[in-house]
Amino acid sequence: MTLLAIKDLIVRYGEIEAVHGLTLDVDEGQVVTLLGSNGAGKSTTLRAISGLIAPAAGDILFDGKSIAAHSPEAVVRMGISHVPEGRRVFPGLSVRENIMLGASNRSGGAGVLGREADEMFELFPDIRPFRDALGWTLSGGQQQMVAVARGLMAKPRLLLLDEPSLGLAPVIVQAVFRIISEIRRRGTTVLLVEQNARMGLSVADYGYVLESGRLALGGKPDELWGNEAIRAAYLGGGQAAARV
Amino acid sequence: MDIALQLLFTGIGIGAVYALVALGFVLIFRATNVVNFAQGEFSMVAAFLMVVCAVDLELPYWLSFLIALGGMALLGMIFNLGVYYPLRHRSFLPVIISTIGASIFLANATLALYGPQPQVLPGWFETPGIQVGPVYLDSQYLLIIAVTIVLVAFQYWFFEHTLIGKKLQATSQDKEMASLLGIPVARMIMITFIYSALIGGIAGILVAPVLFVSIQMGSSIALKAFAATIIGGFGDVAGAIIGGLALGIIETFGAAYISVPYKDGFAFLVLVLFLIFRPQGIFGERVAEKA
Ligand SMILES: Nc1ncnc2c1ncn2[C@@H]1O[C@H](COP(=O)(O)OP(=O)(O)OP(=O)(O)O)[C@@H](O)[C@H]1O
Ligand SMILES: [Mg+2]
Repeated sequence: MTLLAIKDLIVRYGEIEAVHGLTLDVDEGQVVTLLGSNGAGKSTTLRAISGLIAPAAGDILFDGKSIAAHSPEAVVRMGISHVPEGRRVFPGLSVRENIMLGASNRSGGAGVLGREADEMFELFPDIRPFRDALGWTLSGGQQQMVAVARGLMAKPRLLLLDEPSLGLAPVIVQAVFRIISEIRRRGTTVLLVEQNARMGLSVADYGYVLESGRLALGGKPDELWGNEAIRAAYLGGGQAAARV
Repeated sequence: MDIALQLLFTGIGIGAVYALVALGFVLIFRATNVVNFAQGEFSMVAAFLMVVCAVDLELPYWLSFLIALGGMALLGMIFNLGVYYPLRHRSFLPVIISTIGASIFLANATLALYGPQPQVLPGWFETPGIQVGPVYLDSQYLLIIAVTIVLVAFQYWFFEHTLIGKKLQATSQDKEMASLLGIPVARMIMITFIYSALIGGIAGILVAPVLFVSIQMGSSIALKAFAATIIGGFGDVAGAIIGGLALGIIETFGAAYISVPYKDGFAFLVLVLFLIFRPQGIFGERVAEKA
């Protein structure tokens, strides 16, 4: 079943058109990976889904209902949680507080949310020792864990992850992708944006490649890997391979 | 020694007022990244509301106080909707100019309604004060200090120990991220403006019996409070409180031991020294780390 459908999406920043007519589907229960190089429009697509930027044209359907141009607050209340590029952990709040605030899309007092945040550490044992540390004191990997944990606190049906591996050491990248697999196993649909094609496809049920704001191709991970020309052009580039 | 103790008491009392107004500056600055140049006018308007209710209409003091607070909450709301909200996506400069405009408007609207004559607001208590050993504790200064302690404690509890306080902090640290989590950012900023108008108003009401209630009282308090926030390290709550108290004490001692006419000069001398030798303020480093 299609959970998210993007139809002929056009997004502009003023005069600059960043996404020119993108159409793609995300099926419920799957991990779908959106690949593409710098400036391809991956983050812009996620920002349009979560309501940070209103599309110039086209439609975004979540569970059959249009969410194009809804506010971010409305979108997350409908069950789409966006973990943006750069982690954006609140620097002056503790790890536990950051995670608790992830539930701001639903009701619940501080006591209940605090307990839920504590349970979240079972999935993220690495950050449990830092639960009272302030956000700015964390390493990049720890911040990424906090950002994903915070995103999950919304109990989303669809989780948007923007380059969770960016700038992390290989071991940490492995840990992050193990968590993504676990999130899928627990039944949450994931739309994952990656430049790291090998890792991005390793957890995916389906992949799309975005090029200069247009869909270049889509397919199952092994199909994308199997195509020699595609691999050379989009996936096997020295940069992407070196980052694995 | 006795005189020094007496001066210290007075200095803390007046410094507490600066601290309250400085807190208003800091809260709005952290929520919107803009200095609200009308913060002092909040104090002035509240003091005039008190004069209207308690003196002109002869209502009970406590009722006048509640009406003035209600008026300040409303003013904070209108201020947010009229002065900040339409410009929220612009850079800081248009917003600052908008707050300067609002400050001029509030001062001149009050002038038009009430005239240029300074007014007198009686203190809350009948008893002027009590003698404790060598120090005479003026009842109004005692009230100022007590209310400031209560407000600072409340604010600490509210921001550090409630969920809504955490949401307000999150909003002031990263509005876009806060909205992605479902925190109602516009409502959080509304709360910040109302709260700042209320503490600015309370400061004005408390200090009014000590000073005259005049159109200019807002700008003179705001200048001191602004200096206090710079001394404390801009954007730091503890810094604003300590900066305010320090400024009150310095100007009281300066006036007593050096020169009364240059009373206001001491505050700004300290400010200039800080700007030259420690522009980040007392707690500046902590702010830098947070950023
Ligand atoms: N705020 C903005 N204002 C103007 N142009 C922007 C803005 N944000 C992005 N763009 C432009 O839109 C295009 C797509 O950017 P986007 O951030 O979506 O790319 P991306 O695929 O996420 O790239 P990266 O892998 O570097 O994160 C780029 O050309 C970029 O320069
Ligand atoms: Mg991006």
